[in-house]
Parts: sequence; structure tokens; C-alpha cells
Amino acid sequence: MQSPAAGASPSPAPGTAAFTFPREYYFPPFFTWQTNLTTHHAQLTKWAALVLAYCRHHRIFRLALSTGMSASAPMTAGGGGDSSHADGGGGAGELFHNRQIGRRIGLADAREVVDFLRKDGRAEYVGGAGDDGEGFGGGNSSGVGGGGDVAWIYWRTPEEWAALVEAWVDETGQKGSVLTLYELTEGDATRGTEFHGLDPELLQKALHVLVKRAKAQIFGHEDSQGVKFF
Amino acid sequence: MFLKQIDLTTALRPSYLPDEDLLFVQDNVGLYEGKYKLPNHQIGQVYLTSHRVCYVDKADPRKNSLAIDLKDVERYDYSAGFIKTSAKISLVPKATKRSSLQPWAPGLASNHSRSATSSPVQRTADGAHRSPPVNQPSAGTATWVCTICSFSNPVPSNFDPSTASAHTPLPPCLACGIKPTLTHVLKAAISNATSRSPGGPALLTPLPVRPRPVSGIAGQQQSHGPPTSPRTPDAPQQTPDPDASFQCPRCTFLNHPSLMSCEICGAPLISHDLPADLAHQPRSETESPGPFLQSSPSAVPQGLDNFETVKLSFRGGGDKIFYERLKRSMTQRKWLLQGAPPIPRSARPGDAASSGLGIVGGSGGDSSGGAASEQRVKIAGIAGLEHRGQAMRKNNELVIGSAFEDLEALMASAKQIVELAEKFARQVKSGGNGGEGVENALLLAESASQLGLITTKDIVGTSGSGGGDSLYLSELARNLAEFLTDDGRGVLRRAGGIMSLVDLWAVFNRARGGVELVSPADFEKAANLWEKLELPVRLRTFRSGVKVVQARDRTDDTTIRALLAWLRDLHEFPPDRHVPWDWRVFGRGVTARDAAERFGWSIGVAEEELEMAEDRGVLCREDGIEGLRFWENYIDTGEGKAWRDPAKEERDKIMRALKESGFL
Repeated sequence: MQSPAAGASPSPAPGTAAFTFPREYYFPPFFTWQTNLTTHHAQLTKWAALVLAYCRHHRIFRLALSTGMSASAPMTAGGGGDSSHADGGGGAGELFHNRQIGRRIGLADAREVVDFLRKDGRAEYVGGAGDDGEGFGGGNSSGVGGGGDVAWIYWRTPEEWAALVEAWVDETGQKGSVLTLYELTEGDATRGTEFHGLDPELLQKALHVLVKRAKAQIFGHEDSQGVKFF
Repeated sequence: MFLKQIDLTTALRPSYLPDEDLLFVQDNVGLYEGKYKLPNHQIGQVYLTSHRVCYVDKADPRKNSLAIDLKDVERYDYSAGFIKTSAKISLVPKATKRSSLQPWAPGLASNHSRSATSSPVQRTADGAHRSPPVNQPSAGTATWVCTICSFSNPVPSNFDPSTASAHTPLPPCLACGIKPTLTHVLKAAISNATSRSPGGPALLTPLPVRPRPVSGIAGQQQSHGPPTSPRTPDAPQQTPDPDASFQCPRCTFLNHPSLMSCEICGAPLISHDLPADLAHQPRSETESPGPFLQSSPSAVPQGLDNFETVKLSFRGGGDKIFYERLKRSMTQRKWLLQGAPPIPRSARPGDAASSGLGIVGGSGGDSSGGAASEQRVKIAGIAGLEHRGQAMRKNNELVIGSAFEDLEALMASAKQIVELAEKFARQVKSGGNGGEGVENALLLAESASQLGLITTKDIVGTSGSGGGDSLYLSELARNLAEFLTDDGRGVLRRAGGIMSLVDLWAVFNRARGGVELVSPADFEKAANLWEKLELPVRLRTFRSGVKVVQARDRTDDTTIRALLAWLRDLHEFPPDRHVPWDWRVFGRGVTARDAAERFGWSIGVAEEELEMAEDRGVLCREDGIEGLRFWENYIDTGEGKAWRDPAKEERDKIMRALKESGFL
């Protein structure tokens, strides 16, 4: 609901093949939160890795936790994988709910995974924590507040995206030129790059990183923003 | 051999003979031989049973524990403590048990308090007809059959057919209390003696003599009574007449050889030819006054043969009760009952009832049961069966009623009563439904024999030093350990080697048959003592606080290994129904109930064990709609090992900092 549909362009990412879940995904106890702290830590680590890998595979940038919880996820389970990130924030249905063995994890547990990722800087709640998301947003208030339900999953952090964009600008010799944000993500020129099809908000975040480093400048209005690289 | 080595149970208590009853336990007791302390037998517990006095050494129980059969004890004396001397109870062995080579030590006699208070029944019986109990081995097994109730009574051990007269006191029939005629008992004793081969080994043992420089005594001894055993034709000094009497130097009365003073005039009967080495032995002092018998450890078993008087020194008190109970058990002489045949009974129920009546009205002489059998009418069919059952019940009632009527009769019919109790238990068992009922009933049935061996608060003495309950608790702990490890009963084995303390408490109290129940507080205290007493069971507390009992050799590691082996098996055997996951890889989750069934544990124990394994990171849990299941841990495959609890790490860091800055 948050982001407008970014068009159903087939993504060039290696998402054509079905995602292969790790072995633990078919292990029923994996879906029960462990009481043993050591085991629990290992479980969280594995879940975090799974979430990252899943999102990377399907190019999900923001993950809606609760939609995934409902039994009917809108996703066509991994068939082509092409339209996976189409409806705002990829559904986590398949991710958190293993239909094959009939096990799922609860919303609170999914949040814990996200919290765990946040500690590594690999996730952030959408809307909850402003632009930088680090400080006050905290893990505690992620519940009912602003964007407790949808989270950025940084399988690439904004910094990494920024580096990618910068490298592409360098490569293509476009320093000093002005590009619109739409051009960057959806334009023909960027077809084939990793950030093609990047979520606009995430792109903003990445570009802000560059702005801070004085490598770029953003101008323009809400809808038609442009960026100039230095 | 007067002092015997004994077998100990797993809990380091003496293992009892069949029919043996524990009467008293006292700790902190030392053993003396004569007036000398026995090395290595100075601190231990003394168990008084209906048959024996057992000493169990505290330091080395397996090696240094001894027992004295009460049937070998001729006399026992009590000497009260005085200043530094502890109260002592002396046990004087029977003449046949005494070695002829060992002379009387003068100190021994002087140490005996020959006070009138300590003259027991046994002695008066001896004094009455002055016959030494030489033929005791044969007489002990002789029985006479009561003409009234046809109960087989043992011929008293001190009954000597050669000297018996009309004035010889004869014990009444144990069942009906009617005195037999002298001729009847005489006949029984003689027929028993003749049926035995005259050269029996028991009679060939060297018989006692008191070496005396007085000459001519041998001749008088010969004339005193006809010998009942063949003699070796040696000098009378060495192999004397079995009826060897001992002439009083003052009044010439022929005294029993075991007497130390003349029965008529009271003159001391002390030998003068004491070997010098006995008197000049080097003696070592211990904290308790009294010399030690110096001998090398290897010499102790040899020396056992030559013991004369064995004294129990009660350093921790309890002497008086011990003495009272000893007196009672010496009077009861339960060991004689051991070989006695059961009361003969007719098979017909009507007659059985009448014989029961006969026991009740035993004092009235002829039984009134004849009428009862005459009244019996033949009834066929169901009515007959009912009648039969009624008669049975009536008979049982009579038997029980008569058994409790007076103690004498109870003793006589003890076996019958126990049989009845067992039968009732069996009926309970057959009536019960379900596996557990049967098992419990089995325990109940076994409990009948257990009844006599339990430790109760009045069996144990009060320990002067260690507070009132400590001896009771340690006895209870041992009792429990025995109960648990007893192979025949297999309480622990049946529970899969582990059992919750509460369950054990219930089973144990049930086995006690509803009497002398143990309070939970005492029970827990006793269980806590296992560790200290080094018994083969241990008490374990789970994380949740549940206390369980298990064998000492069972550790968490063995449990985990068993659990893992079981879970690995589940990879091989396909599950009962289709499962969506790959059971070849992950196996199957198990519930506490599965584990309980597999290992024979109770559910509570199974839960605890599984959680223990989970706590170790070996298992992991799955909380689903089907309940809590445990799986092999495929989640933590090494990743978690390096990780440590952050709280703990924080704590460690603070501790380190504190240490470095010198605060700790």
C-alpha cells in the first residue's frame, strides 16, 4: 500500500529460478522459538540469513510482515518469480509460512527476526524511523506505531546501493550530468545493473548517502526529482 | 565360630535372613573381646534383629562387619557406664562355641557385673536343672507334636532327656498354650536323637573344659550323667565329658562350666593357670578407655574362633533400650520357629473352621469344633459355592481374629497370617484393572514380607552426639537405597532407572502397608543423605526444582546418549503416518509421552530429561498444535557455539574490570 506499483517489468535479476530454501526451512522446530539461548541465537541467525537470501532472490526491498502472516498470500508461489516485488513490499507469505510442512512463525517472531537484522543494520522499519532510522526508532516501538508492519530489508544497505550507483556513474562517464530518479531505476540505460528496479524510496536513501558525501545533489519536486553527480 | 562375617546389602546394612526382624539400631558402638578392644571394630552401628546382633563397621563395612547369632549366646549382661566407661552389654557364647584352649581371664570375670538385675530367663532355666546345652544342636531341631492342637513345637534347647524329671519346667504349646506331659516331650527328644547319626560333626567339636589343676574332677564328671556323645579316648583335661561340671572349691557343688561363681555358695570359680602372654600384652590407648587386643589384621579372623565374651560398648547411648530388646528377643527365641512346620490343617473348609475355633478356645482344652463339622450339610450348585465361600470367609475371619487374640498365638500363626495377607493382595491384584493396578498390587503383596524389615523411629536409638534424628534418617536413607536397588522388587528398574521423589515416597509408604509412614520432610532429608553415605542411588534436582531419584551410575551424559540414539533410530524407521518433512533427514519429533513410553519414565521425569537435553543444546523444541515435541537440534549446527549470553558476557566484563582495579 505504501509504494505505487513500479510497473510489472520483468526484473533482470537472477530471480527466474525458484528460490531454494535452506534445509532448516523444512525442519519443523525451526518455526518454534527456542528457549535455549544458544539454540535461539543460532535460530535467529539462520532466520536472518534466510530472510536476506529470500529478499535478494525475489528482489524484495520492503517486506510486509503481516501480509505474510495471513493465510492467503497473493504471491504465486515462486513460479516465475518475476513479479515478486510487484505489489508493494513483497509478501512474506511463503517466507514465514511453510505450507509444505504446515508450519509458520508468528508476527512477533517475524518482528524479532527483523529486530535481529536491524542490529546488523540490515533492516529498518518503514516510516517508523525517519530517514536515518538508527536512533530513536528503536526496537521497542516497532509494534503498532507508524510502520511496524513493513520493514526495509537491506540485503544491500543504502551505502552499498550508493556505491553501486556511484560506480555505474563512474563507468558510464556521467559525472556532472543530471539524471532523473526514474531514469536511474527504470530507464533503459540502467537495464542490466543491479539497481534497476530499485524501490524509489530506497534509491532516495542511497542518494542521500551520496549527498552527504557531497558526491551528488538532489533537486526538483516530489514527483520529478533529479540528481546531479559530481 | 561365635563371631561371623556377614553379608551386607547394597546400602551397607546387614542382609537379613528369612523371617528375621529388625528390632533396634544404634550407632557409635565399639566391640570388645573380653576386656580388650577389638581393633578395627571400634566405631560402627549395631543392628539387633530377632536372630542376630550385627555389627557394621563405619570405616570399612565390607571388611569389618560381624554378626553374633543369638542362638549361640548363652547369657548376656549389662554393665552401666561409669565416668569414662561407656555402658556395655556382654554376650557370653554357649559352651560349645567356646574354644577349650582359651582359659578364663581373671579380668573378664571381674568385669562382669553379676548383678541380680541381669539374670535373664535363660539363666534361670539353666539353673533349674543344671544341664549344659551340649546336645543343643540336636535338640534344637527336635519337635514334639501337641496332642491338643497337633502343632509342632520345638523341644526347648535346654531340655536334656538324661536329666529331665517331673520338675523340669516345660514350655506350653506355642499354639494352644497347653503344657505337654513330660513323657511326650521326652519321647520326641529321644526319637529325634536316635534318628540322628551319633557321630554327627556337631557333636564331635571339642567341648569346653576349664583347665584346672584340681585332680579327680574328671572322675566326678563322669559319674554325673551319661554322656550323650561319643568321646575320644584322650586325657580328660583336653577332651572332657560333654557334661563337664565344675566343682566348687568351697562347697563341692558341681556347677555348670560356664558359671563364674558357685551357684550355691557364691564362691568365685576362677582358674589360676592364666597364660602369661595374655596378661603382658602391649596395649595401645584410644580416646575411649580400655585396652586394645593387639593383633595383626590378618589374625583377626583366626581369633574369631577363640572369642569368649563379646562386649558391645555403647558410646553414644542407647544401651538400655538395646538391652531391653535383646532380653525380649532372647526370650522369644524366634530362631527356633524357623524350621517349624506349619500348623497341619484339614482340607475341608468346615474342618478348617473348626480348627480355627480350636485355636481360639485353646485354653478350654477340647475344641468345640466337632459340632461345627456335624452341622455341615451338603448343598450343591451355586448355593453350595456360596456356602463354601462363606465358610472360607468365616474361616479367614477366625484365623485373623485368633491370631490377634494373644501374642503367643500370633507368633504361632504368623506364617499363616502372612500367607493370608498375600492372598488378599493377590485378590486385589486380580480384581484390579489396568497395568498400573497390577503393578501396585504386586508391590503390596511384596510388602507383607517387607513389613518386618523397616526402620521405624522406635527401632533406632537416640544418638547422644549427633542430634536426635540423624541415626533415624541415615537408617531411613539406607532403607530407601535398599528398597530401590533390590533386584527382586526392581522399583527403580521398572521406572526406567529414574523416578521422581514424590513417586518414590508414595510407593515406599505403600510398601510399608499403611503403618509407620514416613513424613515427607524426613523422606527428603533421608534422600539428601544418600550422597554423604555413598549409597548407590542419588538425588538429582532438575532445573525446575523437581527432585528425582536415580542410580548413581546414571548421569546426564548417558541419558543424552540414550535419547540421541533413539532419535537417530527414528531416521531409519518410517513414521506411522505420512509426514510432510523429510523424516530421513530430520527424523521425527518426540513428545514427553513418547519418551516416557520408550524409557519407562514417568511423564514428569521424561519432560525434565528432555528439557535437560534441550538445555544442553542437544535437542530443540517444536511447540505446535499437537503439543510440545522435541527434535534433534538441526538449528544450532555449530553457529551458536561461539555465541555467548550477552548478559553473562557483561557480567564477566564487570568482574574482570573489578578484579583488575583491585576491588576483588
